[in-house]
Amino acid sequence: MKDCGMETVIKNKVFHWVRSHKNNPLQKEPVTYLRKAQLQWEKRIHKSLNSMAAEIKVNLAQLRHTADREELEDKWNELSIYDIELSQYRPVYAPKDFLEVLLCIRNPNYRTIDRVSPWEFVHFPLKVKTLGELRALYQEVARGEPLLGVDPNVRTHQSFPSLMVERTLLGEKVINRNHAPVTQEFLKKGAPRSLRAKLWAQVMGTEVTASDRQRFNELKKLVLKYDLVVDKLIIKDIQLTASNDHQYFVFEDLLYQVLLCFMRDTEVLSVFNGSASNPVHGILKGRNPTLENTVVYPPSGVIPFHGFTMFATPFCYLYDDPVELYFIFRAFYMRYWYRLHEVSSNQQGILSLCVLFERLLHRYESELWQHFKKNGIQPIRVAFKWIMRAFSGHLPPEQVLFLWDMILAYDSLEVLPLLAVTVLSLRRDNLLAVDNFQNTEVTLFLFSFRS
Amino acid sequence: MRITFCTDLEKSVLVNNFEKRGWIHVNPEEEWNFYWAGMQTCRNLFGLESGYRMNDNQIINHFPNHHELTRKDLLVKNIKRYRKELERDGNPLAARAPNGKYLYLNFVPVTFVLPADYNMFVEEYRKNPQSTWIMKPCGKSQGAGIFLINKLSKLKRWSRESKTPFNPNLVKETYVISRYIDNPLLIGGKKFDLRLYVLVTSFRPLKAYLFKLGFCRFCTVKYDASMQELDNIFVHLTNVSVQRHGGDYNSMHGGKLSVDNLRLYLEGTRGKTVTDNLFKNITWLIVHSLKAVSYIISNDKHCFECYGYDIIIDNNLKPWLIEVNASPSLTSTTVNDRILKYKLIDNIISVVLPPNGIPE
Repeated sequence: MKDCGMETVIKNKVFHWVRSHKNNPLQKEPVTYLRKAQLQWEKRIHKSLNSMAAEIKVNLAQLRHTADREELEDKWNELSIYDIELSQYRPVYAPKDFLEVLLCIRNPNYRTIDRVSPWEFVHFPLKVKTLGELRALYQEVARGEPLLGVDPNVRTHQSFPSLMVERTLLGEKVINRNHAPVTQEFLKKGAPRSLRAKLWAQVMGTEVTASDRQRFNELKKLVLKYDLVVDKLIIKDIQLTASNDHQYFVFEDLLYQVLLCFMRDTEVLSVFNGSASNPVHGILKGRNPTLENTVVYPPSGVIPFHGFTMFATPFCYLYDDPVELYFIFRAFYMRYWYRLHEVSSNQQGILSLCVLFERLLHRYESELWQHFKKNGIQPIRVAFKWIMRAFSGHLPPEQVLFLWDMILAYDSLEVLPLLAVTVLSLRRDNLLAVDNFQNTEVTLFLFSFRS
Repeated sequence: MRITFCTDLEKSVLVNNFEKRGWIHVNPEEEWNFYWAGMQTCRNLFGLESGYRMNDNQIINHFPNHHELTRKDLLVKNIKRYRKELERDGNPLAARAPNGKYLYLNFVPVTFVLPADYNMFVEEYRKNPQSTWIMKPCGKSQGAGIFLINKLSKLKRWSRESKTPFNPNLVKETYVISRYIDNPLLIGGKKFDLRLYVLVTSFRPLKAYLFKLGFCRFCTVKYDASMQELDNIFVHLTNVSVQRHGGDYNSMHGGKLSVDNLRLYLEGTRGKTVTDNLFKNITWLIVHSLKAVSYIISNDKHCFECYGYDIIIDNNLKPWLIEVNASPSLTSTTVNDRILKYKLIDNIISVVLPPNGIPE
């Protein structure tokens, strides 16, 4: 077994299985009021989708017309020239709409003492890590060990001229070993650019096989066969985000392929087993509303929101093959990203991450906290889109990749609020000098140009 | 001493930089220390009849005969001569591969000047009749007058049509015809070229600085090597001034990707060794192109010059020098573009002025 490499294969399979089940208890949301909030939120999305479809007079799903199908197939590799009328389509929701929903959630068993500050997550009764516990989780970082993303030129070992050289040589060995837990450990100090694609694929178990290629091809056929409203939404989202972004516009044609296929992928549905959310269901047109006539919409159960594309864009710097890009993106989504747009009590969920952000800011940046509070600025409004998009589009691509190294290495999204607090902390003096929300945003935006 | 400047270009990236340093704006007739001049001004200033002599505290942004580097036909002529000289001296840099091509100095596509080299071109053309050639007028820039040719008959037709009725033997303009790089590196299926900035403060000894920030200019239209696209110039030309007239021009990014991100992409998808090699070869290409003209350019100590290098990378990650511009555009198309050009000018001033800030 050892000689033919089967041992490694089995070890890695076990690792990926355990990893994917560790944080995903096969249990729906245990907290009733959060479950209700999520349910209401889903209803709203559903309604908004239906009313838009009714307004434009299109079916949510239908067989694609032959002419459209031929055009789509013809332009599959350059979908940026697949020119369709989208002016009436608008994103179902944007991060700020979702934030409003989160801010309105109330625990029926809990009342704030002064009752006038409903906007703080800091008092939200959810258990999140303390700084001490974060230190224990991110112990290598807490110990101040040299990170590749901080200074690649620092010399940490006498036998290597720089950290970069050291990490590259070690990383090559790690890749050859092909043992996923070792690879995950290696990522803690950051991946060298040239090895990252392989390292990530090892940790996520997404090395593309012939059957994966076949799978992707089947998804492509489904895209050609069925015409969904969410296709238009995702195309519109790419146009509004990646196509306008100086760091990602060149990759738009890859993104169209990947995200259109993603909408058709029923394997994504398995995230709903351990998540607080439920896919939208629809009844087939002209049929009786029975269970057999009920379908999940879209097939993957994911309704894109404004900025959804940004979950996929940074991968374009690692993979130029759409199939490889597809499977790493899907793995990240099913492991992490779905938690960023649902209401849940999970420590990895967006709500807990917001609470963690505010508690850290409140506790360790009290001057800034008071300043925000005095001026009626809600700190979470500044940081929410960073967290919800895992900083994609808010940092230069290479820094996003280093950040995502950390997400994989520690298998946790808690690094996102931690970084958000750090950014505010770093800009404290500038932020203290402005006294309204708009100027706060401008201040942070201006600094994003100097990295 | 307060420094005085004058400029022929009222571009904000220039004026803002000068004023940030507390310099005083003056007219060309007055005493100036720093002149950001147009090429016409330079020609007049350096011309024999003007009789203008610069004093020790004056510098200007062009060398008198920069066209040896920046005119397409002269650049090619100088590089050809440079290679022959190195070869004659037995310099190992001029080594050739068994197929006769230079190993290290083969960085410009095969090029001929028309009409002068017409017969040589035809000979070369016959070796590879299926390849495509690109015609560029020598004196023009920003993509003007460029067209592609894949049949000799098309060239003959062009030559007939462009003869003036008054002097039928004279073709109006000199053109260069170069082998078209038909295997460009594509990113996301799109073709691009690279714009890098090189500052030269002296040709003898050669002192040149490569600006860290450069960018790739992308075609707005997907690259398709098939012949029916030959006439769609937007597919082939990456000049922003050309692309801006294309239908899909995006004013948010202007079709520009930073060189840093190009590097990130290439290291991520192709690996570090080949990427390092590419950038090393780009640096050598710049050095050789400058050395090729270093004994021809009049090395006036009052002069410095910032060149815009246009480079195409093929899908084997080999860089090709397309042309060198003496007055790279300082117009900013996007926010990032403005930041880049502002920093470019700032860096140039910091390099060309001695530490005390006074030209000498």
